[in-house]
Amino acid sequence: MSSAQLPANLSEATVREISEQREEPEWLLESRLDALDALETLDLPDVIQTPGRRWTNLEALDFESLVDPLDQADETERTADEGIDVLTFTEAIEQHPDLVESAFGSTIDPQENYLTALSAALFTTGTVVYVPEGVDAEDVTIRAEMNSRSLFSHTLVVTEESSSVTILESIESGESVDADARYFSNLVEIAAGENSYVQYGSLQDLEEDTYSYTLKRADVDTYATVNWIEGNLGSRLTRSDVESELNGDSAETKIVGAFFGHDEQHFDVNARVWHKAENTTADLVTRGVLDDAARSVYEGVQDVGRDAWNTSSYQRENTLMLSDESEADASPKLIIHNHDTEASHSATVGQVDQEDLFYMTSRAIDPLQARNMLVEGFFVPVLDEIEVEEFREDLESLIAARLR
Amino acid sequence: MSSEQDHLKETDTEARFDFKKEAASAFETEKGLTEETVRVISEDKDEPEWMLQRRLRALEQFQEMPMPTDWPGQPDLSEVDVGEIVPYIRPDVDVRAGVDDWTELPDEIKDTFDKLGIPEAEKNALSGVGAQYESEVVYQNMQERWEEKGVIFMNMDKAVQEHPDIVREHFMTKCVPPSDNKFAALHGAVWSGGSFVYVPEGVTVEMPVQAYFRMNSEGMGQFEHTLIVAEEGSEVHYIEGCSAPKYSAFNLHSGGVEVFVGEDAHVQYSTVQNWSKNTYNLNTKRALVEAGGRMEWISGSMGSKATMLYPASILKGRGASDNHITIAFAGEGQNIDTGAKVYHNAPNTKSTIESKSISKDGGRTNYRGLVHIADGAENSSTAVECDALMFDNESTSDTMPYMEINESKVDVAHEATVGKIGDEDIFYLQSRGLDDDDAKQMIVSGFIEPITEELPIEYAVELNRLVELEMEGSLG
Repeated sequence: MSSAQLPANLSEATVREISEQREEPEWLLESRLDALDALETLDLPDVIQTPGRRWTNLEALDFESLVDPLDQADETERTADEGIDVLTFTEAIEQHPDLVESAFGSTIDPQENYLTALSAALFTTGTVVYVPEGVDAEDVTIRAEMNSRSLFSHTLVVTEESSSVTILESIESGESVDADARYFSNLVEIAAGENSYVQYGSLQDLEEDTYSYTLKRADVDTYATVNWIEGNLGSRLTRSDVESELNGDSAETKIVGAFFGHDEQHFDVNARVWHKAENTTADLVTRGVLDDAARSVYEGVQDVGRDAWNTSSYQRENTLMLSDESEADASPKLIIHNHDTEASHSATVGQVDQEDLFYMTSRAIDPLQARNMLVEGFFVPVLDEIEVEEFREDLESLIAARLR
Repeated sequence: MSSEQDHLKETDTEARFDFKKEAASAFETEKGLTEETVRVISEDKDEPEWMLQRRLRALEQFQEMPMPTDWPGQPDLSEVDVGEIVPYIRPDVDVRAGVDDWTELPDEIKDTFDKLGIPEAEKNALSGVGAQYESEVVYQNMQERWEEKGVIFMNMDKAVQEHPDIVREHFMTKCVPPSDNKFAALHGAVWSGGSFVYVPEGVTVEMPVQAYFRMNSEGMGQFEHTLIVAEEGSEVHYIEGCSAPKYSAFNLHSGGVEVFVGEDAHVQYSTVQNWSKNTYNLNTKRALVEAGGRMEWISGSMGSKATMLYPASILKGRGASDNHITIAFAGEGQNIDTGAKVYHNAPNTKSTIESKSISKDGGRTNYRGLVHIADGAENSSTAVECDALMFDNESTSDTMPYMEINESKVDVAHEATVGKIGDEDIFYLQSRGLDDDDAKQMIVSGFIEPITEELPIEYAVELNRLVELEMEGSLG
């Protein structure tokens, strides 16, 4: 029996209705129904616990009032570069039925936990990015607005051999909705073929009445690279898991994250990498700022398997606290099964450097302005990684707006 | 270098720890754990009623608590069946509370400690020595000059009788209540032996006091309790050593250590653990540190089949500080899960944690640590550094730190590295004429030096010897 409560009008009929409206093939209906069946037995995603404390309280989510499966609405703009397909999920099923069938659920098992199953059973929107062999594409943007109480989405990225693509997927709140709280969920699967390159950026700026759950996972083949950029500014509570499985020799990944919390926001952000082949490299960089009574929870996992010879794996997490009411919890983990590894991680928590601040105020910069400049500077290592210019500008201006 | 190597070969360290003695006991309980067992132990010790009541309450808590099984990557405890353990064995010694002259001990017990080098160390480097054999302290002595200053160093059982007020106030109440974890509860029900150390205000005990714990019988559990009360401005260094011969059945060691560090007092607690590789070592060690006090935990975990040990410091008073130095060495079949816990509950508190681990031949080490900075503990700082060295890809090295920061005016840093033994370093040493084994031993000795240099020379040598013994096993 799951610890979470089932939404009121969630039934087989609801799921059939969603699938029929979208004229889906049998396999997808079956997958939705299986996910629905599994809800009974699945648990919520794991949350870190220490003696007497639970870092994020997902049990408190009241799905009955958050989720309305038949009332989902979004407004999504997709722009594609030449030579590739950026399609809605429904279009993709028509145009590339085999591709979608084999990619769907290939990196994320829909029945992995309660929230993935809920998402897989109910999603009504989504995007498929398909980059054929040898094609280089840039600046794919998927900009979504959520216009309903709850919204479930599914994103698939498939890159064939020696192709490359840079992507921005953003989510924000559109029309206001008559509800106390809202729920957004997105599952992102990337299958990066041999020697291909993907940079996938995500920008979440939902209204602060929204609970958000996203799981993003890449299967990285030989000589392929998947770089993630994860930006979180909005929502009441965000649970975000960004994960790479380095399954091919010489595969690489970067997981770069930025969050900026204020008021009562709670960010539970996680970056995980599994080294499963030889000569693989990973670099995990997360930078976060907390103001007011905001709280952050971070888990970073570097897992080096028995056969992952000649691994390089690095992780850094830095949190700045702007307010005394804020709280930062962090757990960077190393799990190493092969000695032919160079691995390190570090984590810091602290205030804006007082000497830097003193230097700037001594140069006649107003203290608040000086602090804000230092905070903006703190995010530079993340901003520098972003290849989609629009994304970098958006993130910069959102950070600047929060500091005003 | 070569003369030191020869010296090592002459000293058969393995034989020094692994010899067995014919088990001869005056009294032992049945296997297993029931209220009856607890009453029998308490009665055999002629304990006051309050202690019996505490034991029975702890037993109740033990029975209610589930086995810890859901920690990520934790050692497998499924073999630990308390029903198969003999919790209490009183060795055949005339003087119930232990003697203060080695020659009064039965030959086989005296011989045991001679082989372990305890009386020799007492002469040279220690202020006092306690020695526990099975469940009871058989020897306890302290130099007179400390007794004159009011320092107490005695067997814990005797302290229950002779210092009931201090013991009743401090024993498993504020520091390690039995409800803390299942094995603390077990400990509270069947504890026996251990040390009581009391250092009055302003007294500095210049040379360390030491307790040595030896399990000789197969299938027994040892549950000694150590209580250290260091009053304001005092200073003491306590060392514990542990060993047991290897049997096929499992042994269980579940000690409890409580340290009260008074204002501006300084306590160092050093452990060199070399339990046999059939021993489950599940301890609870904790210090409460008052304003300006300083607690140092120094641990070398070499032995045991599985260890779960996370010495904790609760920094209660302004300006209290903590220093953890940990080394773990896991060889074949060993799972050493160890780390540190620090709670910063007051302003201006400081902690540093330094952990070194070595895993080889399929062994697993894990650093599991928690640093908690409470709201209001401003100007606190913590620095955690974990380094792991791995010898092969059968072994596992995990690092799982947890940081909970509720205060903004803090300086928190955690760093960890994992790597293999450097080929270049080995090459360099070989080019200077060392063979492969010697080069690796030398690199490992260098790797753990920050730990060994904190120990008195006798123990540093001992720890190095144990490490080298482990290394020989793998490379020979």
